[in-house]
Amino acid sequence: MRSAYVWTVIVGMGVANYALRFVPVAMLSRLRLPRPVQRWLSFVPVSVMSALVVGEVLRPDGRWLPPLQNPYLFAALPTGLVYYKWHSFLGTTIAGIIFFLVFRALLG
Amino acid sequence: MGYVPVGAAFGILATTQGFTALQAIANSATAIAGAGQFIGLSLMQTGASVLTVLVATSIVNLRYVLFGATLSRHLDRTPLIGQAALAFTLTDETFAINIDDHRRGSASAMSMAGVGAISWMGWVFGTALGATASSVIGDPYRFGVAFAMPAMFVALLVAQTENREQVIIAVVAAVLAIGFAVLLPGKWYIVAASVVAAAIGALFYR
Repeated sequence: MRSAYVWTVIVGMGVANYALRFVPVAMLSRLRLPRPVQRWLSFVPVSVMSALVVGEVLRPDGRWLPPLQNPYLFAALPTGLVYYKWHSFLGTTIAGIIFFLVFRALLG
Repeated sequence: MGYVPVGAAFGILATTQGFTALQAIANSATAIAGAGQFIGLSLMQTGASVLTVLVATSIVNLRYVLFGATLSRHLDRTPLIGQAALAFTLTDETFAINIDDHRRGSASAMSMAGVGAISWMGWVFGTALGATASSVIGDPYRFGVAFAMPAMFVALLVAQTENREQVIIAVVAAVLAIGFAVLLPGKWYIVAASVVAAAIGALFYR
């Protein structure tokens, strides 16, 4: 990856993230967010994660894989169960990688 | 702190995708954005423009607006400079701890600063650990690293779905994401699907 590209993203992400955190803390001590905006914000994280998972799993590296030959899809299901049961990010990542290796080997 | 292992995962992924160790650490130290940083990586991997990466990560991190708005009510008497420092370390985990402390009546600007400092150190230390370890491991793809990021996203998705409403909106977002992925170029489907799905959620569940 080009160094200037990576650094531009890093600086931009730092600034954007800080603005997102600081502006509401500073401004909203008196002001309150309207209820519909609060509701919308409360559904943003789950929507983002779901959209991300769909993209990463069904279209890895930008190519749609046929569902029945897709090790990402087969591995994602037990991976979700592992997090649901044990609530560990590290454990889930490791288990997910193992599931992926198994299904990649099985599906050729 | 739970941030060390996730930070390490970020360090490994970032360096295997062409970040230098310094860039990975700088990204963690200044953004402290967890999921946002992973999404940034996955977008950069496909050569997305700087604007795409920044818009997408900002959308993902919009939840901080909600956290900030909630915490601001407890920071009325904290001077602006203190608020500025506390905002810097606002994350999912610090927010949860601070709100919990507040319920038990033990929260103060000082305790919040302590919680923030510890999380920041855990996140940056974890990243440094992962970034330096990955040069020792060798070819990471042999070990299935391609699935590390999807696995993390799956875990974050399950972590976000705490009730029925959220499960339904997750399904709506998934369907929309497939549709938008066919229609829109690059990774814009993530932004489009999440903005629309969250709006549907806000409309139907008041």
